Amino acid sequence: MKLRVAGGRSLRSRVAGTVALAACAWLLPYRLDTYMIHVANVVILFAILAVGLGLVMGIAGQINLAQIAFAGVAAYATAILTTRAGFGFWTAALLAILIASAMGLLVGMPALRMQSHYLGIVTLGLALAFTNWVTNAHVAGGAEGISGIPAPELPFVDLRNDYFFYYVELIVFAVTLAFGLFVVHTPLGRKMRAMRDDSLAAGAVGVEVPQLRMTAFLLSSVYGGVAGVFYAGLIRYVAPETFSIANMFLLLAMVIIGGRQSLVGCVVGAVALSLLREVLVDYPTYAQVAYGSIVVLTVVFVPTGLAGLPKRGRALLRRIGWLRSERGVVPRLGAFRPYAEEPPRNRGNILRLADVTMRFRGLTALQDVSLEVAAGEIRGIVGPNGSGKTTLFNVVSGLYRPTSGRVLLGERDMTGLRPHVLARHGVARTFQNLRLFPLLSVRENVLVALDQTSVLGAWRYAVWQPGVWRHNRALRAQADELLDRFGLTAFADSAPGELPYGTQRRVEIARAMARRPRILLLDEPAAGLNGDEVRELRDITRSIRSSGVTVVIIEHNMGLVMSLCERVTVFASGRIIADGTPAEVARSPQVVEAYLGDSAMSEDVPTEASR
Amino acid sequence: MQVFLQTFIGGVSLGAIYALVAMGFSLVFRTMGLVNFSHGNVVMIGAYIASTFYLSAKLPFALAMAVAIVVTGLIGVFIERVLRPLENKDFDLMLIGTIGFGIVLEAVAIIIWGATGTAVPNPVAVAPVQVFGLRVRTYDLVVLAIATAATLLLVFFLQRTKRGAAMQAVAMDQAATAVGIHVGRSNAIAFMLGAALAALAGGLVGPLLYVNPSMGGTLGIKGFAGAILGGFGSIPGAIVGGIAIGVLDAFAAGHFQGYSELVTFVVFTVIIMIRPTGIFGERTVNRA
Amino acid sequence: MTDFVVEGLSVHYGGVCAVNGIGLTVPAGESIGLIGANGAGKSSALKALMGLVPRRVAVLRFGERDLSRVKARDMVRHGIGYVPEGRHVFAGLPVEKNLLLGAYARPWDARTRAGLDEVYELFPVLGEMKNRLAGALSGGQQQMLAIGRALMSRPRLLLLDEPSMGLSPKLVETILAVLQRLQGQGLSMLLVEQNAKLTFEATSTCLVMENGEVAMSGSSGDLAHDSRVRKIYLGL
Repeated sequence: MKLRVAGGRSLRSRVAGTVALAACAWLLPYRLDTYMIHVANVVILFAILAVGLGLVMGIAGQINLAQIAFAGVAAYATAILTTRAGFGFWTAALLAILIASAMGLLVGMPALRMQSHYLGIVTLGLALAFTNWVTNAHVAGGAEGISGIPAPELPFVDLRNDYFFYYVELIVFAVTLAFGLFVVHTPLGRKMRAMRDDSLAAGAVGVEVPQLRMTAFLLSSVYGGVAGVFYAGLIRYVAPETFSIANMFLLLAMVIIGGRQSLVGCVVGAVALSLLREVLVDYPTYAQVAYGSIVVLTVVFVPTGLAGLPKRGRALLRRIGWLRSERGVVPRLGAFRPYAEEPPRNRGNILRLADVTMRFRGLTALQDVSLEVAAGEIRGIVGPNGSGKTTLFNVVSGLYRPTSGRVLLGERDMTGLRPHVLARHGVARTFQNLRLFPLLSVRENVLVALDQTSVLGAWRYAVWQPGVWRHNRALRAQADELLDRFGLTAFADSAPGELPYGTQRRVEIARAMARRPRILLLDEPAAGLNGDEVRELRDITRSIRSSGVTVVIIEHNMGLVMSLCERVTVFASGRIIADGTPAEVARSPQVVEAYLGDSAMSEDVPTEASR
Repeated sequence: MQVFLQTFIGGVSLGAIYALVAMGFSLVFRTMGLVNFSHGNVVMIGAYIASTFYLSAKLPFALAMAVAIVVTGLIGVFIERVLRPLENKDFDLMLIGTIGFGIVLEAVAIIIWGATGTAVPNPVAVAPVQVFGLRVRTYDLVVLAIATAATLLLVFFLQRTKRGAAMQAVAMDQAATAVGIHVGRSNAIAFMLGAALAALAGGLVGPLLYVNPSMGGTLGIKGFAGAILGGFGSIPGAIVGGIAIGVLDAFAAGHFQGYSELVTFVVFTVIIMIRPTGIFGERTVNRA
Repeated sequence: MTDFVVEGLSVHYGGVCAVNGIGLTVPAGESIGLIGANGAGKSSALKALMGLVPRRVAVLRFGERDLSRVKARDMVRHGIGYVPEGRHVFAGLPVEKNLLLGAYARPWDARTRAGLDEVYELFPVLGEMKNRLAGALSGGQQQMLAIGRALMSRPRLLLLDEPSMGLSPKLVETILAVLQRLQGQGLSMLLVEQNAKLTFEATSTCLVMENGEVAMSGSSGDLAHDSRVRKIYLGL
C-alpha cells in the first residue's frame, strides 16, 4: 500500500485526466435532452452534498447523519426568505448558507462530548427534528412545502433554463471539490485525518481535537448549505420529503459505496448511485433493495469503496503475477544525525508531581506519588507490570485527570489540562503500543506534529489560500529535515503498517520530537527491539537530551536503563519504592523483591553494561 | 390532573413498546458491542408479518405473533452472519452495514406489502376499563402484560440459564473462550433474541399505530433513544428509558401536537449532553 | 501417561518474533515453570498454547491426543484449564456464577455443584463472597476466583499466566500454598511467572525465557541458587 504523493509522472497524468474530464463535463449538455439535464443537475447537487459528508465522515471521522438536514435548512431558508420576506435570491442564498453553518456548529456540539453511535443517534435525531418542524410550521408551508421560489438571476442568462443552470452548478461543484481537495492536502486536512485515525495520539501531538471536530461539522454544513441553496433555485419548490431520513441514507450509501475517505470517491459514488436510480426509475423499490445490498456488500468486502478498487486491483494483479511488482530500491533505515548541543530551556525542575493519586472504579493505580525531574535529566521509571508506570505518563500527558494531587511543568500548574494543551506547552510522548496514524504516510505523521498553527486560524483557508500553501511547503521542508535526521527519508511515503517494528518506533520518536518539546516521555521504547536497535535507541536518546530535552523513560530492559539513565524511580503497586542512581536502586532489597520476589538474592550488580 | 394521568397512561403503553425495542438494542450492544441500526425496520417487518397472518390468514393473534418472532429471529441470525467479519474490527463500518440492511428491509416490505400500509384492528374486543376514574384501553393492559412477561423471561434467561450466563460472560471478557464458550454462536443467539424482541414489539404495536413501511424509522430511533437514555447495554435502563421516551412523547404530543418529535428530540439531546452515559450508565463492552 | 508435549512453538506479532520455536514437556502430575523478564515471551507462549493468538507449532500433544488443530474454546474439553494473565474474571457476574461458568463445558449437575464445594473448601473466602459481584473483589480474591474457575472444569493440566501479578507478598504465599496442594492432588501445572522465587518453590523444573527463546532450564532447586538467572532477569 504505497501512498503516492503527487510528483513527476503521476502528476502529469493526473492533470491530463482532470482536463479531459472537465472537457467532457463541459460538453455534456450537448448530448442530453431536457429530462436528462435536469437529472444531471440533481446529481451534481448530490455530489456536492457527498463531498461535504465525505469531509466530515471520511476525512475527519465524525458520524454526521444530519447532512441532508443542512441542505434542507438552507433550501427552506432560501424559500422562506424569498417568498415570505421578499429577499432577492442571492441575498437569501447567502443568509441561508450562514443559517446552515450555524446549524452545523449546533450539531457539532454533541460531537465534543460523544462519538460513534451516540453521535449517530443525536445527529439523526436532530435531522428528524428538522423534518418534523418543517412538516408542521406554517411559515415553512407544512406538508405542502413552499413553491414559487424565484430563480437566481444572472445578467444575460436565464437560469430557469436547466442547461444554463447546469454550467453554473458545474462551476460551483468544481470550486467546492477543489476546495475540499485543497483542505485534504493541507495541514487542516491532515490534522483531521490524524484525528480520525487516532484521536488520542492526535491530541498528544498537539491537535486541538474539540475545535477540529467543530470545524469539520461547520465545513460539512457549508457544503450542505450550498447544495440546498442551489436545490431551491433549481427546483424552485421545497417539500419535507426531499430532506427525509430516506434520502439521508441514500446519501450515506453514495459516500460509502464511493469510498468515504476519498472526495473523488464520494463524487463517483454520488454519480454511480444516481445513475442506478435513473436506470431503475420505474422500479424505485428495487433500486432501494439494490443500493441497500450494495452498501452491505461494500462494507463487508470492499470497505474502501469504489475509490479503493484501483489500489486493490493492482495489489491483486501483482499477487497473481500479471503486474510486475515495483522493484525499486529496498528502503533502508539511515543513520541518525545527532542534534546540536543546547542547554535545556528550563532551569531547576521541569516536572514535579505533588501527592498525585489516580483512582479508577475500585482500583488505585497511583497512590500519593511525588517526584521531581530536573531539567536536562534522563530519568528511568521502572517497576513490575501493573505498578502504575503508564498511568503516570497518562496523568502527565493529560490523558487522565488525577483524582488528587498536582502536576507542575516548570513553574506552572498543569493538572488536568487536556493533552493537546500540554503538547503545546512542550510535553511529548510515545506510546507503549505504538500509536502512529495508520492511514497517513510517515511524512504525514510527522507533518501533523510539526504544524503549530491553531485550528482557529482555519478561516485563512477560505480567504487566503496562497498563505496556506506557503505554510504547507514550509512544513514539508521541516518534515524532510526531521526525517533526514532520523534516517527515515527512504520511508517517507510508506504507510506505517508496512514498516519493520524498529523503524515504526523510530518514526514515533521523530514525530514526538517534531515540536522540539521540553520534556519527552518514552513508554517502553525498547520493547521488541534487538540488541543493535537498542544501542541505536540509546544513542538517539542521549542526543535528544543533549539538545536540551528532558527525557523520562519507562523501560523493562534493565541494561538500557542502567547505561542510559542518571536517576531511576522504581514503582510497585502504585507507589514509589525507590529513587536514586541505577546502581543504588539495583542494590535496594525492596527493588529486588519487587522484581524477583526474593530479597535473599542480592549481589553486586555492574553499573554500566559493557556491551 | 385527570388529563395528566390520562396522558401518562397513554405514554406508558407506547413506552412499553419502545422499551421492548430498546431492550433489543441494548441486548445486542451489551453482548456484541454492535449498534444495530436495522433494528427499527426489523420491528416493522415483525409488525407486518404478525398483522398479515392475523388479518389475511385469520390466525389467532398470539399465533401470528409467534410466527413473526420466528421469522424475524432468522433474519437476525442472517444479519449477524453476514456482518460477522466486521465484528470487533471497524465499528463505524458495522454500523453502516446495519443501516444498509435496514434500507433493504424497508424496500422488501414495500415490495411485499405495498407502500400504503394497513390498519390493524384491536384484537382485544373488550370495552375499555375504568381504573380510578381513568379510561384505560384493555389492549394497553394486554401490551403491558405481554411486555412485562417478555422482560421477565429475558431476565430469567440471562440470570438463570447457562446460555444466558455465557452470553453475559462473552460481553464482559475474552476469558469466555477459555471456559469453552463459542463466542460466534453466542452472538448469533443474542442477535436472534434481539430480533425476536423486535418482532414482539412490532406485533404488539400494530393495533396501536398505523402499520406502514416507514414506521421502522421512528420506532427504531425512539427505541434507540430510550436505550441510550437508560444507559446503553443495561436491560433495566432500556425499560426505564423506553417508558420515559413514551411518556415524554405523549406529553409532547399533548402540548405541542405536530411538533412533538422535535420536542422529544431536543429534550433527549439535552439530557444526553449532560449525562452521555445515560441514567444507569453505559455497560462498557469488552471488544477484545 | 498424559504428558503434555510442545515442540517448535512460534508466535509473531506484526514484525516482531515474540516466541521463537520453543519446546517443553509437562510430565503427568508435575509442575513446570516458565520464567523470565517482562517481554521475554512467556505470556505469549502460554496464550499460543491455548490457541488464543495465532501460532505455528510442530507438535502439541496431550497424552495421545493431538491438540494442534483444536480451537481455543475446545481446549477446556480436552482437560486443559486456563488462568489468564490479569485474572479476567467476569466482573458483572457474582462469584458463584463465575465459578459455574468455569464448568460451562459440562452439564450443570450435582457433580458440578460438588465441584463448587471443593473450590470453596480450597478458598474459603470465596465461599463467604459467593453472591458478590466479581468486580467488587480485591485483586487477590479475583486471582483465587480465576483459579477456582479454571478448576471447575476438572482439568488434568492447569495453565497459569502470572498469577502473582500485582499481589502482595502475603497473598503470593497463599497462592503458593494452594498450588502446592493442587500438585499434591496430582494436577499437572505449567506456571508462567515473573516472580522467580514463587516459581522455584511451586515447581520441580523451570525454563528461563529470554527474547522469545529458552535460555536456561533445569531443576528448580538448582536454578534457585544460580546467579545466571538473575542476570538474565535484569537483562545484563
